[in-house]
Amino acid sequence: MSSDIILVIVIGTALAFDFTNGFHDTANVVATSISTRAARPQVAIAFASLLNFVGAFISISVAATVAKDVVNADVITPTIVFAGLIGAIAWNLTTWYFGLPSSSSHALIGGVVGSAIAAAGFQAVIAEGLVGKVLIPALLAPLLAFLVAGASIGIAYRVVGRQAPGVVTRGYKFGQVISGGMLALAHGTNDAQKTMGVITLALIANGNLGPEANPPTWVIFAAATAIALGTYSGGWRIIKTTGTRIIKMDAAQGFTAQGSGAAVILASTHFGFPLSTTHVINAGVMGAGAAKRLSAVRWGVAGNIVFAWILTLPAAAAIGALTYGVTQLFGSGALGPVVVTVVALALIVAAFVRRAQRGAPVPVTESGGG
Amino acid sequence: MSVGAIVLATMVEGKELLQTVVAATLAGIGVTFVFSVAIWGYGRSIELGNEERPLAAGMAMAVGALALLLVLAAIVAGIVVMTHK
Repeated sequence: MSSDIILVIVIGTALAFDFTNGFHDTANVVATSISTRAARPQVAIAFASLLNFVGAFISISVAATVAKDVVNADVITPTIVFAGLIGAIAWNLTTWYFGLPSSSSHALIGGVVGSAIAAAGFQAVIAEGLVGKVLIPALLAPLLAFLVAGASIGIAYRVVGRQAPGVVTRGYKFGQVISGGMLALAHGTNDAQKTMGVITLALIANGNLGPEANPPTWVIFAAATAIALGTYSGGWRIIKTTGTRIIKMDAAQGFTAQGSGAAVILASTHFGFPLSTTHVINAGVMGAGAAKRLSAVRWGVAGNIVFAWILTLPAAAAIGALTYGVTQLFGSGALGPVVVTVVALALIVAAFVRRAQRGAPVPVTESGGG
Repeated sequence: MSVGAIVLATMVEGKELLQTVVAATLAGIGVTFVFSVAIWGYGRSIELGNEERPLAAGMAMAVGALALLLVLAAIVAGIVVMTHK
C-alpha cells in the first residue's frame, strides 16, 4: 500500500516536472519568433505546443532515463527520484519567477544527484558521467552557440546585405517559423522522454512492469500531454527575457540564433553529445547581437542568465538533498513524500499568489510578450 | 600533460567532442548560409525580373531554389536524427 502511494506521488510529480519543463522551455522555441513578429504569440505557442506533443511520440526509446550515466542505478529508489524531481521543479519555478532561462535537464540531473548523495553518499555519483555528460557539455554549449551564431549572422548579413529589406525580413521570419518548429519537435522528443523514463522506472521498481518493459501507451500520452500543456501555458517572463531583454533583434538575428541553434543541437545529438537547448538558444541570441555590435547585448541580463546556469546544478542538488532529508524524518514509508508534496503545493500556490499581487503576468503583445 | 588533464581526457572522448564541435559548427553556419542564399536568390530574381533580365532572373531563382532544397534536406536530416538517436 505504502509503495503504491509513493508510486502515485512519483508519477504525479514527474508529470508536474514535465509541465514546468514545457512552460520553462517555451521561450527557446518561440521567443525569437515573437520578438521579431514572425508569428503571433498565441499562434507560435499553440504551434510549439502541438509539435512538442507530436515530438513525444517520435521516439519512445527510454535511453534518456534520468541521470543514467551520472548516478549509480543501484542506489536509485522512488523516494530519491521524487526528491530529485522536487529539486528540479523548485529550481524551474525559481528561475521562472525571476524570468531567467535555465536548463530543465540540468535541474533534473542536479536534483537527482543531490538526493542520491543525501541517500547514499558521494559514491552514488558517477564522476566520469557527471563531468563528461553534464559539465563539459554545459561549458561547451554556450561557447559553441555564441561563436556559431556570431559567425552565422556575419555571413547572413554579407549574403543578403544588398537585398531589399522587405524580402529579407519576410524570408528570415519564415525561416524562424520553420526552425522554431524543428526545435519544438526536438524538445518534445528529448524532454518528454525523460518523464516517460522516470514513470516507467517507477512502475518497474514497484513491480507493475517487467524489467525490460517499454513505456505503456498511457505513460507516453500523459508525458506528451503534460509537456504540451506546459508549453501552451507559455512562460511569458522567460519569453520576454530571451526575446527582448538580451538584445533587440532583427529577423536575421532571430533566425540565426534559432536556425543555427537547431542545427547545432541536432548535429551534437547525432554525435552523442546532446547540448542544452536553453544554453544554445540564449547564447546564440547573445552571439547574434554581439557580432553586430558588442554594446547591442545587455551584458547585465546576459550575466544574470549565465549565473543562473552556473547555479542550476548545485541549487537543484541542494534542494533535492534537503527534500530527501525531510522525507526521511517521517520514516521510509509514504508519509514523508506525502508531507513534502503538500508543503510543496502550498509553497507553489503562495508563490503564484505573491507574484499575482506584485503585478499581472507579463502582458502579451505581439512585440514579445512585453 | 598534468594528471588532471589525463583524467579529464579519459573521461571525455576527445574524438567524440571534436566531432561534435566540428559538426555543430558546420551545421549551424551551413544552415544559415544556405538559407540566406535561398533568400538572396529569391530577392535577386525579383530585382532582375523588374530590370527585364529574365535569363539572369531565372538563374538567380534556380540558385535560390537549389539552396531551398538543401534547407529541406537539412530538415529531413534533423528529423532522422530525432528518430534515430
